[in-house]
Amino acid sequence: MDSEIHKAARYDRQVRLWQRGGQARLEHSHVCVINGNTTSAEILKNLVLPGIGEFTIVDLKTVSDADLSGNFFLTETDVGSSIAEAICANLCELNADVRGNAVREDLLKLLNDSGFWRRFDVVVVTERIRKEQLERLEGILWPHNIPLMRVWTCGFSGAVRISRFETAVVDTHDPSPTFDLRLDCPWPELAAYADSFDLDELDDAEHAHVPYIVIYLKALEHWRKTNGSLLALPLSYPEKTDFRRNYVESMARNMGLETNFIEASQSIHRALQKTNVPASVAELFQRPETSDSSLRETKAPFWLLIRALKEFVSSSGGFLPLPGVLPDMVSTTSSYVLLQQIYRKKALEDKLTFLSIMLELHESLGFESDFDAETIANVCKNSALIHLSNGSQLNNHNNLLSRLSKSLEQSSDHNLLLVSYFGIVALDSLAEQESHDFSHFVQTFCDITRVPLQNLTEPIKNVLNELYIHNTSRYLNVCSYMGGIVGQEILKIVTAQYIPLDNLYVFDGIKSMSEKWKAL
Amino acid sequence: MQSLVNSSITPLLNTPGPFNEFPGEFSPLEAVKALKETRVLMIGAGGLGCEILKNLVFTGFRKIDIIDMDTIDVSNLNRQFLFRESDIGKSKAEAAAAFLRRRIKDESLEITSHFCAIQEKDQSFYRQFSVVICGLDNVEARRWINALLVGMVDSALNNLIPMVDGGTEGFRGQSRVIIPTVTSCFECSLDMLSPKLTYPVCTIANTPRLPEHCIEWASQLEWPRRFGDRKFDADIPEDVDLMHSIALARAKEFGIANVTRSLTLGVVKNIIPAIASTNAIIAASCCNEVFKLVTSCNPVLDNYMMYSGDESIFTYTYAHAKKANCPVCGTEVRAISALRWWTLRNLIDVLKTKQEFLLKLPSVAKADIPLYIALPEHLRLLTENNLNMKLIDLVSPGEEVVVTDANLPISMRLLVSKYDGPDVEPQDISSLLKS
Ligand SMILES: [Zn+2]
Repeated sequence: MDSEIHKAARYDRQVRLWQRGGQARLEHSHVCVINGNTTSAEILKNLVLPGIGEFTIVDLKTVSDADLSGNFFLTETDVGSSIAEAICANLCELNADVRGNAVREDLLKLLNDSGFWRRFDVVVVTERIRKEQLERLEGILWPHNIPLMRVWTCGFSGAVRISRFETAVVDTHDPSPTFDLRLDCPWPELAAYADSFDLDELDDAEHAHVPYIVIYLKALEHWRKTNGSLLALPLSYPEKTDFRRNYVESMARNMGLETNFIEASQSIHRALQKTNVPASVAELFQRPETSDSSLRETKAPFWLLIRALKEFVSSSGGFLPLPGVLPDMVSTTSSYVLLQQIYRKKALEDKLTFLSIMLELHESLGFESDFDAETIANVCKNSALIHLSNGSQLNNHNNLLSRLSKSLEQSSDHNLLLVSYFGIVALDSLAEQESHDFSHFVQTFCDITRVPLQNLTEPIKNVLNELYIHNTSRYLNVCSYMGGIVGQEILKIVTAQYIPLDNLYVFDGIKSMSEKWKAL
Repeated sequence: MQSLVNSSITPLLNTPGPFNEFPGEFSPLEAVKALKETRVLMIGAGGLGCEILKNLVFTGFRKIDIIDMDTIDVSNLNRQFLFRESDIGKSKAEAAAAFLRRRIKDESLEITSHFCAIQEKDQSFYRQFSVVICGLDNVEARRWINALLVGMVDSALNNLIPMVDGGTEGFRGQSRVIIPTVTSCFECSLDMLSPKLTYPVCTIANTPRLPEHCIEWASQLEWPRRFGDRKFDADIPEDVDLMHSIALARAKEFGIANVTRSLTLGVVKNIIPAIASTNAIIAASCCNEVFKLVTSCNPVLDNYMMYSGDESIFTYTYAHAKKANCPVCGTEVRAISALRWWTLRNLIDVLKTKQEFLLKLPSVAKADIPLYIALPEHLRLLTENNLNMKLIDLVSPGEEVVVTDANLPISMRLLVSKYDGPDVEPQDISSLLKS
């Protein structure tokens, strides 16, 4: 079989999610995992199967008998050999398209070479490394905006923390799409299309196939005349109810039979929205990164797009580029196709305007115009959903500490999951000590969380006790669960279409519950 | 005692923790013994199944049966890691069992494969197991095993076999623990499933607007018209090409864009996107529940965990409530209000299409008088004339009927509570439109 066809068949089920663009980005990604163990093998399995470009395991150790227990990706024959090489070889068997590397070098030495780390798209730490080494690593990755993930597995619990300077998602998938229909501000071609329908002249069948966009435009014109305001929209609940009953449904000849009117009556909340620039996007326009001086310095592609978008909005009278996507609606084929052409034509015009703004901007800044057509198309299609979040470094969690100290008495599931997180961190910090006992552990927890020992409630002590009694990082079900979570987040980061975790996630396998926070 | 030394799980079983429900009765040795001796049935050896089997074997389970009627396809290889390219075409159950036997060199491991549909096995087969785990991608099989397991339990709770069920779709999934007759069952939550996307036939026939409408026209109307009895086979590339070209011609005629081969395949096969990581998450959650259940080391999920990863990470865990009128585990009668103009056929259509019923081959009887029997054929021929009779003439308002299904071991009491609407069926306006 031809290798491209073969690849398409092999990856068919996932490409339906992130399309060929996302798959191409995945195939050009390189992920590094520090330490070879069950969790790292499970994470990498979830990346090798969908065809990540390359992965690297950094570990000096050799495989011991104990390493075999619970690890699908190590066998008896691997005992004594390099753990990085053994896991790498066993993973590569899953997919010949993927390149795996094993690096048997001392971490301390590698940390002296920042160039080594800059080649990666994500770096994951799956087991304790020394505090100063972790900080050193974070110091290398942060300025280059390379995500660093720290994963813990502890008994029945697990956690992951992501440290990244900022996360931008342009080609965002919206799980529950709303459509930008511009019903409150139709452009001339759309208004003319609606005017071309004279409802009274239509026979019953034609009347029952008038697209609801036309029904809304007509109803809205009528509503605006009656209410004496030419730009307003029915927005409050009573206004919407009045609009639905007395303007939309009243135009129907038979509300029990005309499916287009039934559809119009049911779609008001989704379809009839005020067209504006979402606050999350408007905020980006105000950022200093969009200034000429900053752009000259950074040449950041993301901020160039935002700056161009900002100029588009000011030149278009306050509108983002039209995505041009039309939901299905009851209609004859010809009416629908015509309507679709009107939306697509406007979207194309907006895209060309945006493109010329981008070209002018690059010229005025003295840059080469090296952006591609796909990027421009994606921005124009998704501009309302552009996502940017600023991350925080691993040591920051003061907001969580104050939340915890304020709510010690409430033993809600939410708070106890936070207790689990700090318990896992406390247990982890004990790992370098030769011996410890439960009271030692509890004291460490109190030191980290700044909670006085006498304030610990019974439910909190139980959570700590559970972590301490069943302290193992090798329980496959938790390793595999966290491997799935981390794998999923890496896929989201490298395909750059889904909004990843920001920045802490904790799983409790006893209650089978989980929670996420943004630690600051 | 080589297999007793499993250093990755012994720390979990050595001492009962603070959440153990019966710490006084807990014994580490019994827990390890339970892992070794409990017979587990794995239904489905696909994406979830491969993950679940790996997790079971590497957390101490030693007696596992695998049942799956499917064979391995190239599109499975992006997540079903127990299979290689050389396995394409082989039985999933057999290939998975063979892989694990090669991988685990432990004589106490007993893995048995069954290359058949679950419906081919009877109660005596299922009674051998202490836990049933489902990693299936189809609703019918889960409804069938659920109904069977609930039906096996007697009033003294004998033959109670817990069912742990996982399901995934793209970045989303759910895991749940069903204790038959005790917790809510799969059927109780049927209305939570996202309904299958369907398009009205009049749209497909007269007013196509989307590429999907053209593909449905090609597969539902044009293919049978052109090829009669020759069934379309999505696994034959030439058939897919042909279907694609028929849909494409239709799209061209109507000025509709974007009928691709990939979309054609997606629509005709009802393909659900699937990725390895979601399967890993849900499978691990299911196996964690089975591990706790079998070892009694910690409480088991009560009873439903939803996962969604397409925007950040979100899970929701809650006790899904039993439905008093669940046709499988409930005792109350279910009520339906009918329209005056309905024939018996309209009622049958409701039973087939409404999300809360979704029956494939429903039969309806009234106090031992059969109204319509779908199978066997001779009874269908005897009763099919009733389909055109007015329902109101067959079943009075307030009267009860019993609904059964040839594909499901269920029997549902259905009360036709009242009749509304006009006596004559209103004419559908869409049918007047000439395209
Ligand atoms: Zn039920």
